[in-house]
This record gives sequence, structure tokens and C-alpha cells, in this order.
Amino acid sequence: MKQLICYLLATILLLSCKKEGCTDDNALNYNPEAEVNNGSCQYYDVTPYTIITPSGFPDMIIPENNPTTLEGIALGEKLFNDPILSSNNTLSCVDCHIKNSSFSDPNQLSIGIDGFLGNRNASTLINLGWNSSFNWDGSAKTLEEQAFEPVTNTLEMHNTWENVENTLNSNSEYLSLFKQSFNINYIDSVHIVKAIAQYERSLVSANSKFDKFYRGEESLTLSELNGYAIYNSEQGDCFHCHGTLLFTDNLFHNNGLDSEEPFADIGLAEVSNNPLDNGKFKTPTLRNIEYSAPYMHDGRFATLEEVVTHYNEGGHYSSTVDPLMKKLGIGLQLTNQDLADLVNFLKTLSDKEYISEK
Amino acid sequence: MKETIQTLFITSLIIMTFSSCEKPNQTDLTINFTHTVDAEELTTNSMIYSNSAGENYDVRTLKYLISDITLHAENGNEIILSDIHFIDISEESTFSFTVEDFPNNNYTSISYKMGLDTIKNTNNLHINESYHSAMVWPETNGGGYHYMKLEGAYNNDSTFYNTHTGGTMGGDYSFNNVDNISLTIDDDLGDVSININMEINNWYNSPNQIDFSSYGMGIMMNMMMQMDIKMNGITDVFSVDIICTK
Repeated sequence: MKQLICYLLATILLLSCKKEGCTDDNALNYNPEAEVNNGSCQYYDVTPYTIITPSGFPDMIIPENNPTTLEGIALGEKLFNDPILSSNNTLSCVDCHIKNSSFSDPNQLSIGIDGFLGNRNASTLINLGWNSSFNWDGSAKTLEEQAFEPVTNTLEMHNTWENVENTLNSNSEYLSLFKQSFNINYIDSVHIVKAIAQYERSLVSANSKFDKFYRGEESLTLSELNGYAIYNSEQGDCFHCHGTLLFTDNLFHNNGLDSEEPFADIGLAEVSNNPLDNGKFKTPTLRNIEYSAPYMHDGRFATLEEVVTHYNEGGHYSSTVDPLMKKLGIGLQLTNQDLADLVNFLKTLSDKEYISEK
Repeated sequence: MKETIQTLFITSLIIMTFSSCEKPNQTDLTINFTHTVDAEELTTNSMIYSNSAGENYDVRTLKYLISDITLHAENGNEIILSDIHFIDISEESTFSFTVEDFPNNNYTSISYKMGLDTIKNTNNLHINESYHSAMVWPETNGGGYHYMKLEGAYNNDSTFYNTHTGGTMGGDYSFNNVDNISLTIDDDLGDVSININMEINNWYNSPNQIDFSSYGMGIMMNMMMQMDIKMNGITDVFSVDIICTK
């Protein structure tokens, strides 16, 4: 009898020594040291997020290997706002893509972590999921590809991906967030750019005054309407490059900024190696253009008035200037009132909610 | 007797099975879009051409839409090869398309439309097509899509022409081309290519002589010019050539 009691006690003691936890290795919080499953297992369960296509927009093409989820977007937003991606922990994406400026930099050029200036104006981030190329020179074909670049650019975050991975993998919060978003135990660069790309795809703007006018909810003033007419006729000829409701053709043009060749910045030719592409840059969207000064790839124009004056003067000749700049040397010959109306129309493309919402 | 019927039935089944496995020679039909100036293959970005008004010019941009490409057979059958095809001189992949395993028949004509007729030319109708943003035509000018963007420099390399055709103010300036052909597709024919050629200079020459210095700055609002170019287009811009390869 005594023996039996001893055995029972020993068993109870042994059992009480067994560590409790989640013993299922498919679970997010699997604990390899746990011997007794206490029912605490949490499983990978992401919430799909559907990006609603605004009326008049094409379908957004989302890579099959990076479906958008609430968890992925939230993680991407956190990374976008976190200086952890820069080598000295001082510069985040949002420092050069400032929300109030429609995610662009109000400075002509941006300052990197070492105090050096970049060579192009930081682009606005808006409706990026409908773009087919990224950066002023089109050097990235996808948002994922684009996000690889600023981290290692010596004029920007000046980091290495190895260092970024090491830093994030020693951060328990990020380990947990990446596990939740992608079900991975080791954070790699591929999943970091995936999260950032998901966040960027979720940045949709389609509620400007012009959108409301287009949907029949609001009217434009006579000045704005005249600006709209000039914009859409060959008189102003803005629409050929800034057409559709995306206000960009997603193509590259030399819009007659400079006549001196070779150009200080050859743009697309740097990527294509085709001299016929010298001085061509990606057409930016004109949505929220009011908030995204300064303008052009090098941020040379501080105001919209300067921009429309450039076009009104016809632009400068160079060997690759676009034939759409067909009033070279003649100018558009718009009146001051027409120019003011054009600027007033451009300001109807402002979506205040986009830059103010959470 | 019963046995004989059974044997016959099984034998015919076997024959049917075997004969359906026999693969007849297939004909793949390829439509190529070719471009010439004065019958020579187009060279872009080179000021080597001149129109009948005596202006020298080059070609830098050529994008256009051809719709309702249809083969018509002697027995009245019609086969639509493409509803709308977009050609961009800077994208070689747009210069041709192939319809595999084309049905045997005696085809007597091919028809194709330059541009889009009114039914196919409304705002955002082709919003998910590759050409949507490149060809969109402003709503304030009738909406829909450009039929063609033909651009370049003339006289010297800093004066530009933009031959942009489309549905000015909602009008329909598309036009249909019908070319008689003699194409009998059978099991022995092999593959076939049909070349649809655009003779670019003929947009400007006959019956209407069009000079860039008068209208080069833009014709999108100019109904008369749209009509003149359409008439030139109908006259002799397009031609068809058939090549059989066995």
C-alpha cells in the first residue's frame, strides 16, 4: 500500500514538472519546450483585405505571391514609419514621403542618413497599385522591387539587408508581427518589402473635388471648368500624358525642361541604355498635386504657376523632346486668366481626406 | 448472326477510336501588322521621308487600334480573328497575333476596321486593356479612344506634327477595309500569315494633300481634317498580303 502511494506521489510530481504551453508546431505560438498542451495555441489566420477599385479605375493587379491582408498592411505601415530600416536608426520612409505632402518631400531633394542630398525629388505615393513602373527612371517594375532600393541606397538609408534582417530578427515584436502576417519564423528582406508594398497598395485616393464632380455630386466653378477644358484640349494638351482618372499615362517623356545635352540626369536611358530615352522621366500623377510641391524629377519648380508657365512657354528643344511638346518655341499662348484657371482645375484634384485620415 | 453483329460493332468502335486519334495537319493563322513609307519598311526616328506637300518628316510614335478583323468564307461563314488589336511601333510583341488550328474553308475576303466604331468607342469601355491609358480620348471631346497616334518632327527636328485620329466630338471616323483574297485552308496547307500593311505616307497624300505646317499642331478638334484623313485612309493606306508556309 505504501509503495502504491509513493508511486502515485512520484507520478503527480513528475506531471507537475511538465511544462505547459502550445505543443502544436503548426501554431504561431508553438513552444518546443512545452510538453503539455494547455489549449493556448494560436494559428496563422490572416484577414484578406480587398482594395476597392474606384469607379473609372482599372482593376489593380496584385502579385499572386503577395495578397493584401489587414495584418500585412499594418506591418507595412509600421515598417514605413520606423527608422529601424536605416543603418543608424534615424531615417524612415515617411521622413521623405511625408503624409501632409501627399507622401512626397516638400524639400527639392531629400537628405539621407549621412547628410548627403539625393538627386531627385521624392515622388508622391498615391494610387501606386495602378502603376506599371516605379521611380522617375522606371528602374523598378513592382512595388516590392522598388522597396528594396532606398534601404541600401548610400544617399538614403545606407543600410545592408543583412543588417536589417539581423536587427528585425532580434526584435520580438517584429518577429511576432511577421509570424502573424506571413507565418514565417525568420524575417527576410523579401517579406519586409512585401509588407511595405501591401501598405503602399492600400494608399488609394479617389475622393477629390474633381472625383465628386465626375460622380455628379459636386459642381466645378466656371474657372475650374475652363481649366478642365484647356487641360483636355490640344490647347493646353495636359491630357495626353496626364490622362485617365489616374492622371498619368504610366509612360516616360522628355517634357522640354532642358536644352543642354548631355543632360545632368538622363532618366529612363539609365535603365534602358537607349540614347533615345535620354531625358525621359515617368509621368507623375497629378492627383494631390497641390500638396506635392516642388515639381519635376529634380524639384526645380516650387509652384504650380511655375509649372504651367513652363508649358505655356513651349519648353526647350533637345534631341529627345517629346513630339507632344508641339508648341516648342511658340508656346501654348494661354492668357493669364487661362493659366489661373488651369491651376484652379489642378487644385480640384486635391483629396484632403487622403492626407488627413489616420 | 448475333456474334457477327457484335464483332462488327466492336470493329467499328475500334476504327472510330483510331480515326479520331489521327491528327489532321493544323493550320496556324498569323496576322502581321507591317508599316512602310513609300513601300520601304519604316525606319523610326530618322528624317528621311517626305509627303506630297514636300515636307520632310520622321516617325517617332505610331500607336493604333484595328478592330473587327474578320475572315469571310465562300459559304458565308465568318470568323472574327480579333475584336480589337493594339499596335505600338515601340513594342514588337504587338506586331502580330496567331490563331491556332484555324478551320478549313475557302476564304474569299478579309475585313478590318481602322479605329473603333461608335459601339466600341465609349468612355472606359476598355479600361483593363493595355492600351487604355495610351489611347484614351478626352471626354470633353467625345470620349472613347484615339484610333491612331502618329507623331514625329517635320522640316527640322524641332517642329512636330501630331496626327491623332479619333471620334472628334463623338463622331465616327473609323473605316472598314475589305480585301479580296484567295485562301483555301485544308489539311495540307500548312501555316498561313496575312500581312496587313500600313503605308504611312498615304495618310497625307491622296485624295487630300495634307501638309503639317497647316495642321501639325493638332487635329483632335478638327472634324474636317479627321474626315480628310479618313478619306485618305480608305483610298490606299492599307493593303493585304498572304504568305503560306508549309
